Amino acid sequence: MNAPGRRSPLAQVAVTAAVLCAGLIAIAVLTSLVGDRVFERVTTVLLISVVLTVALQLFMGNSGLSSFGHIGFMAIGAYSSLWFTLSPDEKNVTLPDMPPEWPMYGWQTPYLPAILLAGGVAALVGALLGVALVRLRGASFTIATFAFLIIVHSVALQWEPMTRGSRTVFGIPELTTIWWALGAALIAVIAALLFKESSLGLRLRAARDDEDAAASLGVHITWVRWVAWVLSVFITGAAGALWGHFITTFSPTAFYISQTFLIVAMLIIGGAGSVSGAVTGAVVVALSSEWLRRLEGWLNTQRADQTTLGQLIPIELRGFAEIVIAIAMILVLILRPSGIMGGREIGSPRFGRAVGPHPNPSPTAVGEGLPPRPAHRETPPSGGGG
Amino acid sequence: MPLLLVDGLHVRYGAIVALRGMSLTVDEGEIVGLIGVNGAGKSTTMNAIMQVVRPERGRIEYNGASLIGLAPEAIIRRGVAPVMEGRRIFPGLTVEENLKLGAAIRSDREAIRADIERWCAFFPILGERLTKPAGTLSGGQQQMLAVARALMSRPRLLLMDEPSLGLAPKLVSEVFTLIAELRDLGMTILLVEQNVRKTLDIVDRAYLVNTGRVEFAGTPDEIRQQADLEQAYLGGGREAGGGRNASPSASRLPPPASARTSIRG
Amino acid sequence: MDNLIQYLISSLSLGGLYALMTLGLVVVYGILRLINFAYGELVMVAGYGLLLFGNTTLAWPIVALLSIAVAVVAAVVMERVAFRPVRFASASTMLITSFAVSTLLQNTTLLAISPRPQAVRLPSFFVESVAIGGLRFRVVDLASLTVSIVALVLLSILLRRTTIGLALRAAADDFTMTRLLGVRANHIISAAFAISGLLAGIVAIFWVGRSSLVEPAIGLQPVLIAFIASVVGGMENLKGAVLGGYLLGFLTVGLQTWLPQALLDYRNAVLFGIVIVILLLRPEGLIRPAYSRERR
Repeated sequence: MNAPGRRSPLAQVAVTAAVLCAGLIAIAVLTSLVGDRVFERVTTVLLISVVLTVALQLFMGNSGLSSFGHIGFMAIGAYSSLWFTLSPDEKNVTLPDMPPEWPMYGWQTPYLPAILLAGGVAALVGALLGVALVRLRGASFTIATFAFLIIVHSVALQWEPMTRGSRTVFGIPELTTIWWALGAALIAVIAALLFKESSLGLRLRAARDDEDAAASLGVHITWVRWVAWVLSVFITGAAGALWGHFITTFSPTAFYISQTFLIVAMLIIGGAGSVSGAVTGAVVVALSSEWLRRLEGWLNTQRADQTTLGQLIPIELRGFAEIVIAIAMILVLILRPSGIMGGREIGSPRFGRAVGPHPNPSPTAVGEGLPPRPAHRETPPSGGGG
Repeated sequence: MPLLLVDGLHVRYGAIVALRGMSLTVDEGEIVGLIGVNGAGKSTTMNAIMQVVRPERGRIEYNGASLIGLAPEAIIRRGVAPVMEGRRIFPGLTVEENLKLGAAIRSDREAIRADIERWCAFFPILGERLTKPAGTLSGGQQQMLAVARALMSRPRLLLMDEPSLGLAPKLVSEVFTLIAELRDLGMTILLVEQNVRKTLDIVDRAYLVNTGRVEFAGTPDEIRQQADLEQAYLGGGREAGGGRNASPSASRLPPPASARTSIRG
Repeated sequence: MDNLIQYLISSLSLGGLYALMTLGLVVVYGILRLINFAYGELVMVAGYGLLLFGNTTLAWPIVALLSIAVAVVAAVVMERVAFRPVRFASASTMLITSFAVSTLLQNTTLLAISPRPQAVRLPSFFVESVAIGGLRFRVVDLASLTVSIVALVLLSILLRRTTIGLALRAAADDFTMTRLLGVRANHIISAAFAISGLLAGIVAIFWVGRSSLVEPAIGLQPVLIAFIASVVGGMENLKGAVLGGYLLGFLTVGLQTWLPQALLDYRNAVLFGIVIVILLLRPEGLIRPAYSRERR
């Protein structure tokens, strides 16, 4: 792994972390200097998206497995954080169906422990599910995580005492400021970078690149995967708590397929192979989708007002942002499967070097930032030497 | 002009270099052997000719036209048919269906039917089991099916990759008898084999491959005359082994048998 | 006894539909190892075909055939535009691509047509029922039962008796070797997608017929059902897909008939819980092929 002239892994982490954190801090500080309320909301959502995407990268990037179930953990974090932040009186309003004899009815903690506890609830569910999940590979893993998303959605729609069913929960205190979101994003970025270079992260990436070889070197793959999975869903659950206490009203439909699409798109467009890719993707996609939504709104107003431009628009525009993001994502997958950042970390010695097409084109798995593997590994038949 | 020309071929799998300047020719009507230990690059050469792996550089020409960049199916359509390592028959399909698929590039139904009958006469066991799933055949019978299937496309050039691999000794002899019979039918064959002794008995010329390039080329007699090689490769028959420290030329050879790596050639 | 017959007819009708849905997903997976999330959007496309052509003066059978044709064309175009460029990429790259295609098609429909459910003009037999031997059956149930069985038989003949069917079965077993016999990869894959679109189109007619409505998300439920049934039956195995589909049909009708309402609300959760358990215990599905071997 160590190319000549490469910095030590920790120094590398420090450089990358410094650049990424400086960028995020700059975004937050500039936003607060502008002092525009709408702008501040956009930046806060952006920072929470960074947390979610980095958490997803921590698992997908290092393990090479695709999860479509993370938004389920975000839902668990968002709903369970209500146990900890709402007073019993507030619970009567927000979760009117929760029986007072339930233990969590009486719980109330300050915000920080509430976030951690919400992450903990998600991690607990994730840990149990993970015991089973980490044994699966490839498409089976993805279908199982998707099945989990559907289970969470279906339970959230029905479990009225906990979630108010399909109706919207409201009256949640707005505790998440831009600084909470910034703090969470910085912690997530640093944690993901440290994890990547930790011995666990290295072993996980070794198993991603060649499971058999890693196993022969004594890497206990399922255990390593499980740790990454639990850490990743913990951060996702905490991000759910932050999001819930920012948006203050939500229903189960907020945590379903379109939200899953959005964070997967952020990660793929930025590049699943690196934390820098996750951050870049989250920022680029969050900003462009906000910009596209505004453009859509503006065009619709033009149309309603029957201006010269408006008359050119035959239909009311909806879901315009999703369409553009989906096209961008497909183009990235086809033309540059390792994303904007090409699987590299900002500040790494190889960063910035032109990444030309490989002379020997072969599959590049999502999450791989390493040289591609042979196009066809011929498996010897039984009885074959080799 | 040779029917098949391979020149200066380089292939790598990620960090592993499998071929470094492989070159060979096959003329019409010839049967040419490609011999060497496991991992020498024989099968990679096969796969590169079929464009199942894409070479980094080098030339592959068939009948004067380059094969580089073509899809595997386009190469078959030019008259090259491979018998891949490990037979690769379709076990769930019947023997007859396997043979029909071998004629996928042809549309002359009557002639296809006639060819199936012809090869069933050639390999009576296939005729007997025509409607049985190919997975029920024994290893040697599956090898015959793989060969017959390749012949169904009426190729000008037949590539055979380790047809004797994994077969019982008696069946190995049968397979070589079959190849000799094909030679007598006038087929052009490139035969990739580890079984050096039996290969040299039936080929017109052979290439000794080592670490991704040709180490020595010549007629079977010329190869047999290389005393070093006799010792290094032929001493142990199928399994290469034995004294290899006799001469400078032999010392360039890789450690046989004991040091076989997992790098597949 | 009467109840049992009613149950059998309902289950066979729903199960047949589920079997077609599942086959449409598995026929592509078997060859490309692509789990096509955008399969549901083929159902959606055919559903909107019913809406658009239904508003013309065309006779209904022609409307239905045109709608199926639209799904076939959409499937082939989808493969050509989105999946062919990533064909030799990793399974997860293809999976994510199909997820993006699904979102793209759904949102395009939402933008171009309407986010709201729209009523589709259907022939009257979709709501009629007939009495046979003292029992009343919905005509649409009998129709979907018959159509699904006919479609399965025809598909089986196509796979067994035709050259392209033979190539499809071979490619599902060993794609590279099939190409090494000269079968064109693009032909097989286009054929697999065309079959997938055909099945989605047939499914769409009865699926839309159940509610008489189309909406952009109408394909979600069919694709989820196909996921479950294919996992149950084994992703690589067409017979398994059919059995998985029928099994799920019987299970669904059974649960609906006999499960208390309180538990019925959690039906999706229970079904997908079963999926995870099966993936763990029998990753190859409940039905294993007779001659399985290592995938190349």
